Amino acid sequence: MSLRVEHLGVVYRDGDHGVLALDDVSLALEPGRCLALVGESGSGKTTLGKACMGLLPRNAEIGGCILLEGRPLDLEDEAAMNRVRWSAVSMVFQSGAANLNPVHRVLDQVAEPLIQNQGAKRAGARERAAEALEKVGLERGLHGRYPHQLSGGQAQRVLLAMAGILDPEVVLLDEPTSALDAASKTFVARAIREMKAAGKALLLISHDLEFALYQADAVAVIYLGQIMETLPASELLSNPRHPYTLALGRSYPAMDTVRDLGGIRGDAFYRIVHRHGRDNGGVAPHTHIQIPGSSHRDGHPPPTGCLFQNRCTQAISACSHGEIALEEADGHRVRCLRGGIVRLLRMEGVSKQYDAVRALDGVDLEVKAGEVLSLVGETGSGKTTLAMTAAGVLRPDAGTRVFDGEDMDGWIRRDYRSLARRIGVIYQNPAEAVSHRFTVLDAVAEPLRIHGLAGGREDLEERVKRRLQDVHLSTDPGFLERYPHELNMGAIQRVCMARALVLDPGLLVADEPTSSLDPSVQAKIMKLLLHLQAEMGLSLLFVTHDIGLARKISDRIAVMLAGRIVEIGPASMILHAPGHPYTRLLLESAAGRLPEIPPRMEAAEDPGSGCAFAPRCARRTGACLSLAPLLAENGPRQVACHAPLPEG
Amino acid sequence: MHVDRGQLRRDPWFLIGLGLATVFGLLALLGPPLAPFDPWDMRFAPISPPTGHHWLGVNDGGQDILSELLFAVRNTVAFGLLSGMTSLVLGIVAGLASGWYGGVLDAFLMRLSDVLLAVPAIMILILTAALFRPDPWVLALILSGLMWPTVAKTIRAQTLGLKGRLHVRAAVQMGGGGGYVLRRHLLPEMFPLYLIGFSAKARMAMFMEASLAFLGLFDPSRKSLGMMINYALQFYYLDVWWHWLLPPVLCLSFLIMAVTFLAVALEKVMDPRLRASAEVGP
Repeated sequence: MSLRVEHLGVVYRDGDHGVLALDDVSLALEPGRCLALVGESGSGKTTLGKACMGLLPRNAEIGGCILLEGRPLDLEDEAAMNRVRWSAVSMVFQSGAANLNPVHRVLDQVAEPLIQNQGAKRAGARERAAEALEKVGLERGLHGRYPHQLSGGQAQRVLLAMAGILDPEVVLLDEPTSALDAASKTFVARAIREMKAAGKALLLISHDLEFALYQADAVAVIYLGQIMETLPASELLSNPRHPYTLALGRSYPAMDTVRDLGGIRGDAFYRIVHRHGRDNGGVAPHTHIQIPGSSHRDGHPPPTGCLFQNRCTQAISACSHGEIALEEADGHRVRCLRGGIVRLLRMEGVSKQYDAVRALDGVDLEVKAGEVLSLVGETGSGKTTLAMTAAGVLRPDAGTRVFDGEDMDGWIRRDYRSLARRIGVIYQNPAEAVSHRFTVLDAVAEPLRIHGLAGGREDLEERVKRRLQDVHLSTDPGFLERYPHELNMGAIQRVCMARALVLDPGLLVADEPTSSLDPSVQAKIMKLLLHLQAEMGLSLLFVTHDIGLARKISDRIAVMLAGRIVEIGPASMILHAPGHPYTRLLLESAAGRLPEIPPRMEAAEDPGSGCAFAPRCARRTGACLSLAPLLAENGPRQVACHAPLPEG
Repeated sequence: MHVDRGQLRRDPWFLIGLGLATVFGLLALLGPPLAPFDPWDMRFAPISPPTGHHWLGVNDGGQDILSELLFAVRNTVAFGLLSGMTSLVLGIVAGLASGWYGGVLDAFLMRLSDVLLAVPAIMILILTAALFRPDPWVLALILSGLMWPTVAKTIRAQTLGLKGRLHVRAAVQMGGGGGYVLRRHLLPEMFPLYLIGFSAKARMAMFMEASLAFLGLFDPSRKSLGMMINYALQFYYLDVWWHWLLPPVLCLSFLIMAVTFLAVALEKVMDPRLRASAEVGP
């Protein structure tokens, strides 16, 4: 049996206005498949579940329809809904014990639907209920208990047993795991697997992304009552298309997450519906967006456009106009004006030669909006050259660079200043990067002065102070007049960060920004950098030789060797299962282990045209010496190796 | 480039140089009102020794030597200042342009300076002065046109060094154009070089002025230390050297000492890397 939700809209009415909880949501639950619905709290996940059960409160106004097996459910008709509820569609409610009747034993509560709906005999019903409870891992000794005598996890299992007791074809699970520890989750996971195998259609409402990733087949990402993206579950963390999905993934502590948690900047809105023109000063009925804690009178952002615009890393002015529809894009459906996460910077075949040294050899690299991409590799591998080429500081000998959809070389020739405004650079040596004749104020104000963006001394100081606050530096006049040699290295690097960020760039290129700092200062600077990256929605291209540091901050890592990228992909994958022997060497050296000793090179073997790592590689073959391997797809990453390391 | 002001204040070279420069500066400024007589007035008894009236006596033309000396110092200082400033400005412009923009401009300016360095300035000046009898200011400008290459080479070398510095590269990355970077990052950075270049050139010009005057290549009515020395030497058989010859010689020496001491003191407090490249020779 399938359940389809079509153009479902729900407004919780409250006097002359209402809160819009669901807006034009369409979903299909197919037999034998599990659809996960993920999103932050307040996004309307539970409302959707309750709507399918006909359990919305009286003040809810419902639009659109819910079809069970092709027939619309009449949500107003209590009698009809009663026949459907539990026997055809059931729901596992959130926060276990609160949904159980405190004055009945749990066994009786699980048995009750059997007696009520199927007219079963009491003894038989209790026996079946006991079997159902055992199946979810609750032993018989606990069956006679009252809900308050059970732990949260046990109560959750009671609800699970109850939802399945009438063998419904559609099961809605509302946050079944949020109160459970990792071990108890496996009971839920097993129950879901069994129900799927039995051909039931499942909706898993969850903010537990990893659970959704492994249990569901497809995922719908919901934000403020709108579906933002639907995608295959396997791509939830590795290949999201909507900036919101990426941000959700970055906030979630998955087991193979290696970087520090990012969070999503800003706060979600409420959506308020006004419709009684007469009572509302003649204002036409309209929907608007309201920030939590503010009132309608405070004014509000434009009512149209993308709901995620204020928190998005790639919003443009067009994002605040019109309705944005869900668009199909290879297996994903994405509600984004820009067609999903954009590639802020794209470089193809970039080469750079310094006299006899080939610093970059046909490198392709993309930086997506809002991501942290680290370039790691040994000294002389071309990391800094690549980063500075990306920043527009160095001109490559060959290859194309595209920044935000425009050819960068043409842009530089035409109007370098407008490009410079969008790219900030932080250098390795902060003390050298600020003129010793500049005060803190002068240093941070420099980009504003270059671009003539400050209107007078006060405005300039105001903007400088705001940035200094962002980097946690003092803003008192005495500090503004300090010179770099009066500050410690950490403080100068913060000044440099403030300077790089004062123009609100889209891309920040950081070249070993902490390598001259001691570890405690480095930790503070990196935390700050990541915080600002998330808050400002920056894309960060981070150059480091320290793969341990890259591990803590990166969404993706590119490993460079001799002017080429030898491996690039999601940070967790590169770190847990390196595909290139060079990556493994970096990881092992970082962990203090001695790398394998490669076979001795024969004098006749010339590594000139082959893989640059061949002389140090324990796995090299004849092919490695004669032919340089190209980057090839290897799961979600790319590896340039003739014999990549097996996964795991 | 950083100058330690405290160290400068304790340096005897700097203090003596500054003291002498202040004295001569005041003398040059206040010369005419200080002078007891009109230096062109020839009504006194020629070749008389110092008296209460004429502190330094009277010369062969019946003019008061002290008044003459004050006007001569004024002329020499003015000549030195004008030449020093002009050659400094030319040198800065040429040096910055060559160092920053490089390429053809750099090649042209540097070859031109090589040519100018190879030409003996004194010969050009003697020939120009003898053939065309130009105004002293014109001679000062011609001298500047010959003296700027050493300043330009120093400034160029420093610009090339600064060009590679991270804060300059950062400013360029931020979108700062040539004008901005030159104004905010390069010019202020080389301040000590200007003082050294200026003092070296001013000293050279004052010496040159005295030499030309000594050779009698200026208008004879123009008061000059060189010319005073020349005239005094013609009467060396009389006992006039101590009140007629010595004062202009001492004035010239102290003037040159003043700028030299200042240059040496500044050079001492400056970056050691620069010490090798900054030119202080005559």
